[in-house]
Amino acid sequence: MKRLAGLFWGLLFLAVPILGVVTFAVAPAYDIWLPKDVSEHGAAVDGLFYFILWLTGVVFVVTEVALFWFIWKYDANNKKAEVKYRHGSHVLEVVWTIVPAGVLLFLAIYQMNTWADVKMRRPNMAPTVEVIGRQFEWRLRYPGRDGVLGTPDDLHLVNDLHLPIDEDILIQLKSMDVLHSFFLPNVRIKQDAVPGMKIPVWFKAREEGVFDIVCAELCGWGHYKMKGRVTFESRESFEQWLEGKYQEQEATQASNTET
Amino acid sequence: MESVVVNNVIAWCCAFSPVQKARVANVLGLMCVVSVSLLATGCGKTPAATFRLNLVESSKQQLTASQEQQVATILAALFGTPDEPRVPPEINLDVAKLKLAAGPVRSDIVGRKNGLYREHCAHCHGVTGDGMGPTAAFLNPYPRDYRPGIFKFKSTERADKPTHSDLVMVLRNGLAGSSMPSFALLSDAKIDALAEYVKYLSVRGQVELSLMRAYFELDDEDEGVLPQSREFLFEEIIDPVTEMWAAADDAIIDVPDMPADLDMVASIAKGKELFYGNKANCVKCHGVSGLGDGQANDYDDWNKVVLQAQKTVDGGVKQAEKASTWDMSAEERDEHRTELAWLDRFETVLDGNALRPRMIRPRNLRQGVYRGGMRPLDLYYRIHAGINGAPMPAAKGTVPPEDIWHIVNYIKSLPYDFNGTLGVDRPMVARDRM
Amino acid sequence: MRLAVSTVETKVTSVQDAPEKQETHVHVQPSSARKLSTFLSTYVFSKDHKVIGLQFLFSTLLWFLIGGLLALAVRWQVAWPWSDVPVVGKLFAQQGGQMAPEFYTMLFTMHATVMIFLVIIPILAGAFGNFLIPLMIGADDMAFPTLNMLSYWFMWPAFIAFGASFFVEGGAASSGWTSYPTLATNVNSSPGAGWGQTLWLIGLTFVGVSSMLGSVNYMTTIILMRAPGMTMFRLPMTIWAMFITAVLQAFALPVLTAAGFMQLADRSLGTGFFTPEGNIVNNAIATAGGGQPLLWQHLFWFYSHPAVYIMILPAMGMVSDILTCFARKPLFGYRPMVYSVAGIAGLGFIVWGHHMFMSGMNPALGVTFMVSTMMIALPSAVKTFNWLGTIWGGRIQFTTSMLFALSFVSMFIIGGLSGIFMAATPVDIFIHDTYFIVAHFHYVLFAGTAMGVWAAIYFWFPKMFGRTMNEFWGKVHFFLTFIFLNGTFFTMHILGAVGFPRRLADAYHYETFHHLQPLNAFMTYCAIGMVASQIIFAVNFFWSMFYGPVAGRNPWNSNTLEWTAPSPPGHGNFDFQPIVHRGPYEYSVPGVETDHLMQTDPPNAAAAAAAAAAH
Repeated sequence: MKRLAGLFWGLLFLAVPILGVVTFAVAPAYDIWLPKDVSEHGAAVDGLFYFILWLTGVVFVVTEVALFWFIWKYDANNKKAEVKYRHGSHVLEVVWTIVPAGVLLFLAIYQMNTWADVKMRRPNMAPTVEVIGRQFEWRLRYPGRDGVLGTPDDLHLVNDLHLPIDEDILIQLKSMDVLHSFFLPNVRIKQDAVPGMKIPVWFKAREEGVFDIVCAELCGWGHYKMKGRVTFESRESFEQWLEGKYQEQEATQASNTET
Repeated sequence: MESVVVNNVIAWCCAFSPVQKARVANVLGLMCVVSVSLLATGCGKTPAATFRLNLVESSKQQLTASQEQQVATILAALFGTPDEPRVPPEINLDVAKLKLAAGPVRSDIVGRKNGLYREHCAHCHGVTGDGMGPTAAFLNPYPRDYRPGIFKFKSTERADKPTHSDLVMVLRNGLAGSSMPSFALLSDAKIDALAEYVKYLSVRGQVELSLMRAYFELDDEDEGVLPQSREFLFEEIIDPVTEMWAAADDAIIDVPDMPADLDMVASIAKGKELFYGNKANCVKCHGVSGLGDGQANDYDDWNKVVLQAQKTVDGGVKQAEKASTWDMSAEERDEHRTELAWLDRFETVLDGNALRPRMIRPRNLRQGVYRGGMRPLDLYYRIHAGINGAPMPAAKGTVPPEDIWHIVNYIKSLPYDFNGTLGVDRPMVARDRM
Repeated sequence: MRLAVSTVETKVTSVQDAPEKQETHVHVQPSSARKLSTFLSTYVFSKDHKVIGLQFLFSTLLWFLIGGLLALAVRWQVAWPWSDVPVVGKLFAQQGGQMAPEFYTMLFTMHATVMIFLVIIPILAGAFGNFLIPLMIGADDMAFPTLNMLSYWFMWPAFIAFGASFFVEGGAASSGWTSYPTLATNVNSSPGAGWGQTLWLIGLTFVGVSSMLGSVNYMTTIILMRAPGMTMFRLPMTIWAMFITAVLQAFALPVLTAAGFMQLADRSLGTGFFTPEGNIVNNAIATAGGGQPLLWQHLFWFYSHPAVYIMILPAMGMVSDILTCFARKPLFGYRPMVYSVAGIAGLGFIVWGHHMFMSGMNPALGVTFMVSTMMIALPSAVKTFNWLGTIWGGRIQFTTSMLFALSFVSMFIIGGLSGIFMAATPVDIFIHDTYFIVAHFHYVLFAGTAMGVWAAIYFWFPKMFGRTMNEFWGKVHFFLTFIFLNGTFFTMHILGAVGFPRRLADAYHYETFHHLQPLNAFMTYCAIGMVASQIIFAVNFFWSMFYGPVAGRNPWNSNTLEWTAPSPPGHGNFDFQPIVHRGPYEYSVPGVETDHLMQTDPPNAAAAAAAAAAH
């Protein structure tokens, strides 16, 4: 029995890389994977994710299998061989310091451009919509017919965000009370809404569809309830929708509105 | 002394052989695994949720325990439980919708989510619809208590009930500036079911109040028990409630058309006149700058109930303390003791079963946040009928209907108004900076 | 449990040492008052580092249980939202056992708070640091015994503050363990933001003071009180790790304490450090303004990032010692290991912004912090390779302690590699505040540090209590814990890939996350199994303390100084002043009969020749 100790425990540790890889391989089949991406920059973000996944995956498998191998091979009950009395290897230390350092540095520099695109290179345009996080809803403000935010013809809505596709979108993100975070999983966009700050968020959507807006920063008991919906549609459809909502907002008779 | 005992115990245990010790260790270990698995199978499921009696009202009416029991029994027979709702056919509510909204959160065979009320509403509005869910005490304003049947934001005249569409609209849009969220992202069927359930809770609450108040009307020969007759139950208690709800659709406010060629600037000027004038007298509460900083020492109806109850208790306690018992007869002393017991119980109820009264503040009109909706139509409704349950009075009768439109236009201009001039280039006022 | 008795004894090289002789004294019976004060000063307010270490150990293990139960309640809600919760549901009888959403926010806040501040940090530094440092460096006690005693007793106000916060109006703190303003600073923002949050800040301050007192003690002791011959580069890795952890605590904690006072002031004195102007929360207007919520985040993370290294470095050190002992091999790359620990600590001060990539701070800082964060993966990688090098070519003995130490390496690889995803700022855009992050830190803190802690408990238990724990049940404990923890936490990585957010009481009403309930139910079952498995450990621990097989001085045939002292050591620790002749990892030295050469063994010609030949 004791002779099998190394094999037994080794196999337990071997289960880690095996099941680990299996989990990641099988997950997409159950739709437990990156959600559909409809944005322009999303491909770059996802590409980086996959690059890191493969890189870490290889390191993961190699190191865990090495661990298994050593556990099995160097079991005290089995081997009568001499213990390798070594205090280290200067060459190995240099190699496994320089190589990971190089890889990590490369990773860091490789990603700077994508980060800059998403967070630093703001397009020069007026905001398409102002999104204000509030306990526990997303208040939206469209500039209205005059194209300027903060005038009487602004369109005020809650939670139901519509945006045109194939155009640069600039969102002005604010918070009324506490920290919130504007997260569009299908657009690979996330930005904390900070009270007292006005933060620009920009992206371009390539495809029509209806997706979730999720709050991604704890904002109180209703954090889970801060569900919004973003609808990407063609420019004409978007304008039509805006007009319809505007008519509702200006309603002076019950028959004008849908209940 | 203890060390002797401990030493002896240790010695006794040390006398075991290693094999015996190992066995004991193994057995103990096994016992633990078994007992934990038993524990893990959920010892003690929580009993099903039940409706809570309106204790403030029953204390106010000085109902005895058996009378409270009678009320609870009648209500259970009429309306069922939070998990299994039912309504007598005379009350015009759709039981299928109620069943969708009622009960614990669970999925039925078709995969459809049930227990909508418990999932979305109960933690604020309470399982009984009493506005006292676990979260309620921390919200400002408090969540609505449906039981008195008073609703603030609707399209009907002040004293009338809201229509079904009104309830759906509140669910859909939420109440801007309060903690009531927008449920627009729920399906129409779900919103419908929830609106129906709100009506159910409201009707139930009103029936409960009527029943409790009916004890006051009893003669001595009734011996403190309500009549068991159908006639009493329906004609005296239930019909008055359902009739009001049924009449809601006929009580919608008649809104005159806003003229298409209206000169907005002139209208706003006229509205301002009315705002500051004596007829509407808006500035009394809303303040001379419209910031809501006028008279502000009033309470809404729900808080008033608790406040008055508190005053009753405080006053009663003071009086009872003043009374000197030593020259009272035996009868009087008994009465005095009952009085004290009732006051004590009432105080306990107010401590544990009522939310601390909060003053209601008039709306700051400069923020552009309107709880009942920001459409000109909504503002018309609010001004015409006032707000039921709140100190906001009805302008109906004092202000002609067309003039109300002028006030509406003035109010809508206030968030963008700087020294009377509308415009884009105005400095940001701190309170407006949202 | 046997306490302070010691005799001189001849060295025995077999695994099972013969039991020690008991020395008897004749006492004059003291008066009861003196008895009480002796009892208090011996067992309650003891200044003996070993007693203090055990006090820390028992307290933290109890809080570990509490934190674990809080986690189970969290997992229940995540798996079956709005269902009748066992035990906790009684508090919500009105709703049929369904917990309220603010209660959920309180659960995960206090779970994290308890685990971080009342379990991991005190058990590593307070329990093991205290117990092991003087023993491993050959000192008779800490440099400042009274300060040491105070550092334990300063934890008690924290225990009381955090414990009491559950019972105040509004409940315990519910703004996350990160306590971000304005949620935490404005008392109207959530129920737990009232008294609960104030007590939380008070508790935090006391933990901070306790840690700072301890860190001063450890640094001084390690620098000044080493035995003759114990140069810095002959210290075991445990001590190096404890030393550098103490440095981290000394430099990082004052920032957190200051930030905590600022937040207390914002809440109670109406200051506006973190409150912006015109802030209206829950329809209540803030009393002051002109502050910045981001300021708290910077101050908080300036401490809390080094804190995560405080929470792993001692475990890394202890695992190094345990691996070498049971592989019967010297540590591979001792100096690189030391430099790596120092590197992790040093770099740890310049990476705090990686918690704030999405926070709204200047995005250019995202670039600088990304570079430093990527680089901090390097020393951890070096350490992992060196651990693998340590077991390569050894003769591995599969004791419970060794199994936990091996699993530390295995699980740390996962935790460390998952960190690289979040270091990449564009990827962090997607995975920030999702379960990917939760997976990462549970792997490093639980699958890493907690496994290391168990390894250390099984390893040093004989030294603490004079008896060994039951090996069979220890292995059962390990096996079950290993399986269940991976079942609970590994799939969190793929949940994070979906974007499943943290801290949501019910995520399934989003279209994106609608289908993830069955997976979460599976994870909760594993979590229940994991917590249940700890009962085996608890029974083993307490049983073995009284009835376990008696251990001699060196049941594991290890090299370091503590194994020359009796088990358990008496006051003053050693029979005579230890003299150190070599490093701590001289196992299986060629030419030497025994497979280990203790640090205090007299100089050995064969060993010296072998050492010369090996380099």
